[in-house]
Amino acid sequence: MRLLSPRLLCRPFQAFPAKSFPRGVRRNSSFPSNQFAQLVGRASSQHQIYQSLSTDPYVNLSIEHFLLDHAPADSSILFLYINQPCVVIGRNQNPWLETNLRALRNDREPDRTTDGALYVRRRSGGGAVYHDEGNLNYSVISPRTAFTRDKHAEMVVRALHRVGATATSVNDRHDIVLVMDDNTPRKISGSAFKLTRHRALHHGTCLLDTPNIDRLGSFLRSPARDYIKAKGVESVRSPVANVSSAFADAMVPFSIQRVIASVVEEFAHLYQVHPDAVRRAQRAYADEPELFAGDTWVAGAVGEPQGYGEPEIKKGLDELMSLEWKYTQTPQFTFSTHPTEEDPRERPPLPPTLPPSTRIFLRLKHGAIIESHISTAADASTASEQAARVHEALNGRKLHEITLADWRTILLDRFGAEAEDISTFLGGKLGLIANP
Amino acid sequence: MSAVTRSVRPFASRVLSQKLPLAGVRRVSPAMGFPRGSVRSFSQSPFMEVKKYTESHEWIELADDGKTAKIGITEYAAKSLGDVVFVELPEADLEVSAGEPVGAVESVKSASDVLSPVAGKVVKGNEILDDKAKFINEQPEGDAWIAEIEVKDAAELDGLLDAAAYKETIDEE
Repeated sequence: MRLLSPRLLCRPFQAFPAKSFPRGVRRNSSFPSNQFAQLVGRASSQHQIYQSLSTDPYVNLSIEHFLLDHAPADSSILFLYINQPCVVIGRNQNPWLETNLRALRNDREPDRTTDGALYVRRRSGGGAVYHDEGNLNYSVISPRTAFTRDKHAEMVVRALHRVGATATSVNDRHDIVLVMDDNTPRKISGSAFKLTRHRALHHGTCLLDTPNIDRLGSFLRSPARDYIKAKGVESVRSPVANVSSAFADAMVPFSIQRVIASVVEEFAHLYQVHPDAVRRAQRAYADEPELFAGDTWVAGAVGEPQGYGEPEIKKGLDELMSLEWKYTQTPQFTFSTHPTEEDPRERPPLPPTLPPSTRIFLRLKHGAIIESHISTAADASTASEQAARVHEALNGRKLHEITLADWRTILLDRFGAEAEDISTFLGGKLGLIANP
Repeated sequence: MSAVTRSVRPFASRVLSQKLPLAGVRRVSPAMGFPRGSVRSFSQSPFMEVKKYTESHEWIELADDGKTAKIGITEYAAKSLGDVVFVELPEADLEVSAGEPVGAVESVKSASDVLSPVAGKVVKGNEILDDKAKFINEQPEGDAWIAEIEVKDAAELDGLLDAAAYKETIDEE
């Protein structure tokens, strides 16, 4: 990391007041970060390369979304960012099925947040992934007409080859794999896409050097996976590896900065970006959000000032962080302790604390309970009476809003002493935070 | 003479191309076809195709009542997106402007918005797609429509692409 930008010392204060911009942009000039939106939308900004100084996944995804919506239709953009630990699921996925909610930060009870990785639902398709500081996210936004799903994964592979990770290649799922010494491929990068009228966004992870490589699966393994049947998109599990593992015996130590520089280089090559833009972009991992622009390009660092300062980005940020987006956007699903017609899988035995005749069934639409059957009685008519009374309390309620204490209260009213054990069971499967 | 050919030719092609020629026949009387009074300009014949397209690969087809319309994605779009794995349907009563999302489809890790070609209010989403998203690949311009909307102003369809103009846009791609 550089210490102090020499630009900072000589840059004239407010050299480009907002009003005079964008007319007459000087070649290769620096701009204060509040002109980000103008530079992004400028018709001549054909090539744009940004790195984020923020590790907030919501901020980074929202900046990315802004670039998708607001850059000129014929421009090509590279955006690189690294997120703090988080689990990011695809647009049409189910957090109760794809993540281990209890291992993630509790965002459902404002007064009872916990530590841990963030849970994020992105706007693009695809499956669930884990991010942390050892994972580089690359995002390329380009005209839809010239886009293919492999184009930018291939670009990243060339960048990896350039730094010496020559055993990497794109597979048939548009992911990047590293072929290990024993000849087995391991996934190092996953891709997802968002297509709009004129634009295609391709973003991908790249596991460069995550310290959590061995426990990353634990964030993505739901305790409810044996019980939930969901519409929408299911993740495909793949064994993973760090790119750095290919450098275990290398003379040159592996460095994330070298990979970033190499990806910028390959992007510039693919889209014939002006060399000044590349130079500026290579140095953008600096200490302050500052932007540079030439006649045809913009390059520099962005981050929280843009995320929170630009109203359009802030709007996207608020949406992404809302519990509606995170939970009620979930496609329809059922949770059942017993085989059903739509989900005939054999179920694991119930815990011995529950009466063997216990049945729990929930059907959810937009994250709200629209059908339920919770009963403990062996006798069918008593069971259906129990279930009907519980459903009165559950009908229409959003699952993410029902805390463990709520479950207890609802069930206590109908089941008495059995309520405790049922809610403990449900709380464990649905990732609810235990009471202190 | 030219007025006659102009009205006869589209009529004939409608009869030939549509499964329900009767609907076309009824349209011979403009007054019947547009009970609210024709909102279209004179230059456009009432026999014009009621199925229109957008550059973003949606189609919209006005029902015989002249008020509701079905919206879907084109054959070309369905083919280029690949296997559809999920369709996000709109809720009834959602108000949309032209160009706003009225649904979304996911295929091969790609989310794509389906934009409403005109302004209107959603009547319903096509629930068949809830259970069988892949149906979009089978009949994108048939029974696998995505949303039915109540069109705010049927004249808005006039500004959209007809089949020939749409075909030109995809040939350019």
